[in-house]
Formats: sequence, structure tokens, C-alpha cells
Amino acid sequence: MGTPRTLAGKLLRAVVLLAPAESRDWANAMLRELDFIEGEWAALFWALGSATAIFRHAGRNWRKWFQKNTRGQEVVMNGMMKKIVGFVVGMLVALAFAFVAIGLVRLADYLSPAIAQAHIDWTHVLIAEIFAIVAATLLWRKRTSVSIGIMVFAIVGGAHVAIHYAMR
Amino acid sequence: MKLRLSPQTVLVLEAFLHHPEQWKYGYDISRNSGLKSGTLYPILMRMAERKLLETSWETGEPGKPPRHMYRFTPDGLRFARANASLNAPGRAVQVAFDRMRDEVWG
Repeated sequence: MGTPRTLAGKLLRAVVLLAPAESRDWANAMLRELDFIEGEWAALFWALGSATAIFRHAGRNWRKWFQKNTRGQEVVMNGMMKKIVGFVVGMLVALAFAFVAIGLVRLADYLSPAIAQAHIDWTHVLIAEIFAIVAATLLWRKRTSVSIGIMVFAIVGGAHVAIHYAMR
Repeated sequence: MKLRLSPQTVLVLEAFLHHPEQWKYGYDISRNSGLKSGTLYPILMRMAERKLLETSWETGEPGKPPRHMYRFTPDGLRFARANASLNAPGRAVQVAFDRMRDEVWG
């Protein structure tokens, strides 16, 4: 048994173990078919497709369950809840900006050693802060809570970096 | 009993219409219809949920792992006969298009 088929078997056995009860029979069915597939790579592609199918099936069932359990219960998100969610989303967006900025700086360093030598230590912070300011400004009117989340993260992050460099 | 009749679903219905009384295995349907497992199984699952398909585990020889088998229910057979043929012209166009694409792109 070659590596692709072994991998396929392991993947499908893991899917059987992890699948929710209502999808497990199907996952088992896909695993059983693996023995009859001709070709190592065909077996691996079968397993990958099967894993995707189970994932989608489980997702659909969870969505159905959620819709069933929230229907008729007047689970309407009130204004306060919306603001909190918006704020958290804003913080996450700002965090994503930070990762993007770090990635951009690393990429620039990799592409050009001259840039690596020229830029300052906190270039990525500067880039992330610029992203955050632009996004917060653009979102201020339509998504105020998201904008506030971005700004809070940018201010706290900026202050943290400033203190870090001041203490060094 | 709604089932979205995508070209892939029609292919599966057609695969089952060939000797509809016989139980069929997933891999065999995949080979006959040309569909990958990631496309085929969601269709089989939906058909089974809508009671168009009955499923069973093969009781084979001892020591041999059982296989999952599928067959039309009477409702499924009626549904397939009513719908697979309706889509035949569309399928013919699609098959012709696929052949042309294969010839052009290899």
C-alpha cells in the first residue's frame, strides 16, 4: 500500500471519528469504498472529496439545527448586542491589519535586502496604524461600532509599542 | 420533494436509472457518472434525506468489510423518470460542450 492510499485511509478514518452522528454512516460508507478504488492517487482524491462532503453535510445540519432552535424565540439582536459585535469585529479587523503589515514587511525584506537594512524596527506597526486610521475613517459613518473597535485596537497597540520602545 | 436538478444530479439520476432495481455502490456510481466523491455524496445524501433513495449495508462474507449500497425508492424512481428525461436536451448540449472543450484544451 503506497503513501497516498495510506494517507487517504488515515484521513477517512479520522473523518469517521470526528463526524457528527448523523454523518458518520456516510463517512463510513466512503471509507469502505476506498478498498475498491484503483490507483493510489485516485484513492487520495476520493478521500479528500469525501472529507469535504462530510464537512459540508455536517455544516448544513448545524445550520438547520441553529435555524430550528432560534426560530420563533424572538432572538432579535438588540442595538447593544449589535454594537458589541461590531466593536469585536473592528478589533479583529485591526488585528488582521497587524498580521498583514507584518507579512508585507517580511515580504519586502525577502524580495530586497536593501529594504531590510533600510527600514526601521517598527515599520510594520506604522503600516498597521495607517491601515487602521484609513479603515476607521472610511467606516465611521456607516459602521461606527466597527470603526471604534479598530481605533481602540490601534490606540492600545500603538501605545503598547511606544511604551515598549521607550523602555528599551 | 424538492431536489435541485443540477446537471450533476441528473447524471446521478441517470446512473440509477440503469437497472433501477439493483443496489449500487458509491464508487460504481462515481465511475459511471464521472462525478468525484465530493460532488456525488452530497447528492446521494440529499436524495436519501428526501426519501428518493434507500440505503443499506451489504451483508457480505464474514471478515469482509460491508459496503454501503443505494437504490431508488418507488418515489425516487418516479421522480427520476419524470426529470432525467426532461433534462436530456440540456445534457446533450453540455456533453457536446465538454467534448469540444476537451478537444480544444486536451
